[in-house]
Amino acid sequence: MEAFGIVVIGGGPGGYPAAIRAAQLGASVALVEKEELGGTCLNWGCIPTKSLIASADLYARVKSAGAMGLNVGSASFDYAAMVERKDQVVRTLRNGIKQLLKANGIKVFQGIAAFQSRSRILVSPQVSSSGSGTEPVILGAGKTIIATGTASAMPSFLPRHPRVVESRAFLNLRSLPASTLVLGGGIIGCEFACMLAQLGVRVTVVELLEDILWSLDADVRRELRRHMERTLGVRIFTGATLEEISADDQRVRGRVQQEWVETDLLLAALGRHAVTQELQAENTGLTANEGGFIDVDEYGRTQVATVYAIGDVTGGPLLAHAATSQGLVAAENACGRYLRKNEKYVPNCIFTSPEIGTVGLSEQEAQQQGRKIKTGKSMLGALGKALAIGEPMGFVKWVADAETDQLLGAAPACPHATELIAEATVALRAELTGAELAQTIHAHPTLAELWMEAAHALEGEPIHTIPKHKAMKNG
Amino acid sequence: MVRTIVVPKLGQSEEQATIVRWVKKEGDVIARGDVLFEIETDKALLEVESFFDGTLLKIAVPEGQTVPIQSVVGFIGDPGDPILEIVAPPALPQKTEAAHAPAETPRQSLPAPAGELARGRMEKPRLRERDTRSREISVPPPPEPVKPELFKISPRAAKLVKESAVDPTPIAGTGPGGRIVERDVTAYLEAKGYGRLLITPAAKKLAVREGIDILSLQARDDSGRITMGDIETAIAERPRPMTPMRQLIAQRLTQSYVSTPHFFVTVSADVMELESFRSELKSQGVSYTITDFILKAAALALAEFPTVNSTTDGESTRWRSRIHLGLAVALEQGLVVPVIRDADVLTLAEIHDRATELTARARAGKLTPAEMTGSTFTISNMGMLDIENFTAIINPGESAILAVSSIVKQPVVRDDQIVIRSMMKMTLSSDHRIIDGALAARFLNAIRKKLEETSLWKRSA
Repeated sequence: MEAFGIVVIGGGPGGYPAAIRAAQLGASVALVEKEELGGTCLNWGCIPTKSLIASADLYARVKSAGAMGLNVGSASFDYAAMVERKDQVVRTLRNGIKQLLKANGIKVFQGIAAFQSRSRILVSPQVSSSGSGTEPVILGAGKTIIATGTASAMPSFLPRHPRVVESRAFLNLRSLPASTLVLGGGIIGCEFACMLAQLGVRVTVVELLEDILWSLDADVRRELRRHMERTLGVRIFTGATLEEISADDQRVRGRVQQEWVETDLLLAALGRHAVTQELQAENTGLTANEGGFIDVDEYGRTQVATVYAIGDVTGGPLLAHAATSQGLVAAENACGRYLRKNEKYVPNCIFTSPEIGTVGLSEQEAQQQGRKIKTGKSMLGALGKALAIGEPMGFVKWVADAETDQLLGAAPACPHATELIAEATVALRAELTGAELAQTIHAHPTLAELWMEAAHALEGEPIHTIPKHKAMKNG
Repeated sequence: MVRTIVVPKLGQSEEQATIVRWVKKEGDVIARGDVLFEIETDKALLEVESFFDGTLLKIAVPEGQTVPIQSVVGFIGDPGDPILEIVAPPALPQKTEAAHAPAETPRQSLPAPAGELARGRMEKPRLRERDTRSREISVPPPPEPVKPELFKISPRAAKLVKESAVDPTPIAGTGPGGRIVERDVTAYLEAKGYGRLLITPAAKKLAVREGIDILSLQARDDSGRITMGDIETAIAERPRPMTPMRQLIAQRLTQSYVSTPHFFVTVSADVMELESFRSELKSQGVSYTITDFILKAAALALAEFPTVNSTTDGESTRWRSRIHLGLAVALEQGLVVPVIRDADVLTLAEIHDRATELTARARAGKLTPAEMTGSTFTISNMGMLDIENFTAIINPGESAILAVSSIVKQPVVRDDQIVIRSMMKMTLSSDHRIIDGALAARFLNAIRKKLEETSLWKRSA
């Protein structure tokens, strides 16, 4: 039995930074990974989807390049080559992690980890792996950080058929379907729907709730939905269920309300469940909560003194960057420090077309809390830079406390929103007021000016919007 | 015709009352019996109903004001009726004149009517000095938070203090006559390391608005910066005035505890037979509580030991020939003590009925001040709260109080055998100025023996 101060189970965006931080703090660290380093984020999530979305986005821009004065002839794409590029990106990054772990003296074990006790972890090779015949090993663990993440849910009402896939299986396809039914209008469903539609796939989205991305503010949802339906031609059914689903070699078929929908592929985007089945965590005295997730406190500690948990497996926002932050905190605490999670402001990025970012309180959350708020918006259609780069659509929005002027939340719904959200996150974390942000000089011409303009709008004094009463007089 | 609305006389001792809330607004149509407004005395919170039909023409005394009993506080009539100009009732003086000779010592009970605390009124409580007939009731106004303008401070200095969100109290003034001037504030801020203080902009703004002294705060954030959370905590932790009722309770209990030399004696009563007798009665359809038996036993014992029923101020004693038992009733928001009058001459059944009725009225917040006045001895039973033993503070105006705890099955020695019996501890708090240890012991054992002597109950029940 090989003994380690800290054993990290799972090499995703929570686990590998935790391992590195623990090693930096002087611990002897082992990392157990059952599939690929980088986890869902790097291999089957954030990175591969963003690679494909980048290709799709560029394709869409090239097709409309005539408006920018470019003659590019007739654009076309090779989906297999797009996928190969994606895989190359993933390989590069995966290799980077491997190097990092090695350089930090972290020993990586390939296999499935299962607790025998809180200090003994059995690592068995994946049954379905290449059969290289590695023997199971037992690791001695002083402390353990569980970072096993989540996997896509495939509810039992969906037929088991190659034409019915979740996001991970979709990313392994080498050719594009001509039409796709996306079941679930959440973040993953909408991102895939936009990407596929940009590549010319006929897309139908079916969402059970009253609108896609239901947790977002209505104006943000409206902005995205309008673009998806009008520009990208996506058909969206909301407040609707998909019934009588069947799949055969020719097609996938299902009924939405009174209408039959037939497509080449069904992409299920119905949420994710925690990966804990193989852990045998009960051998440590640890039990999952009702939702199947592992409860932790603000120091990343579980019910069991020597066991920590981070990332998706603990529930919460299911975001790679939240997992990373939690991983660093748990690693510090496992090494005898005392650090609290700071998760008041976790930005959320949605890579749709247009992109959406959110951080802090939304308008509807603030209202639910009974807070008195004010909002300030700035439209890209009135911004020089947005017109110059040919992307004059969408807006950014601040939510601020009506009395203290504290910035409470932000939501950009526009091109590059996922980059713009960073400034808002810093402003919220620093507890800036709207007045201060409005008085902060923003470089011209940039999209970031939107924040300054929207902060002016919080006071009802935007510089680049015609005041309502004057507009009426003139009109 | 226009009729006046007056504050009704509520009891013997109330001389003034505070208008807590007007239920009706000017212009509302009023039917006879409608609740017009709520008043608070130092004993109770009461609703005042209209004697007339008509329209509420004018509210003469706003919410929050304290006025003498019988004051005109508003007018009812037909719309358009002329209203006489009335002189607003005089604001009551803050200082009490010398106490009158006591006619009857009002009961200093601990009334905290249901709803009062729950209302959480935030305005500054107006405390009135009663024309106290007993000399202990004299509620001082709560200490005012010291405001910058009460200092000798220059306008510029005051502005700087406010904008800096600091408390100016510790600043030494060097201006004329010790006046704080701007340079004093600047020097103070520098000496306190104000310039090195880290605070987020929104937190600073909130601190200025709420008058929080940011120099007194310790940042909780790992960054060492004072954040909104720190200011919100400081606001939440700011001292808030208690309700007038609660202040009166505090005043009286403190006064009793510091001026009365308490001592305590405890006995364990074996109530096993009493309990089985009680069950027996219950099976016959007659239901008594343990409290009923204790009340009756205490009333009988007080008749045997009248000294326990009398009072002293340290110079003279006052004999009281009638036995009025106070019964502490716990409500969610506090404690009320309704009084069972002449408990020694009531039968067990009458005590039960009276106690049941008063307890129900107490829970409903319907006790009148008169029903909470004049007890000569108090019983506080916490038996239902899983208490092994406790001591109570004597209510002002009395010489003893009985604290009754839970009935617990315990091993006890009977005839040199260990047996399991249902035991109930009772602790008597006594005023040592009038009650000596031996008397307290005899009195308490008299109660115990009555509870253990079931033949007594079999005769009387």
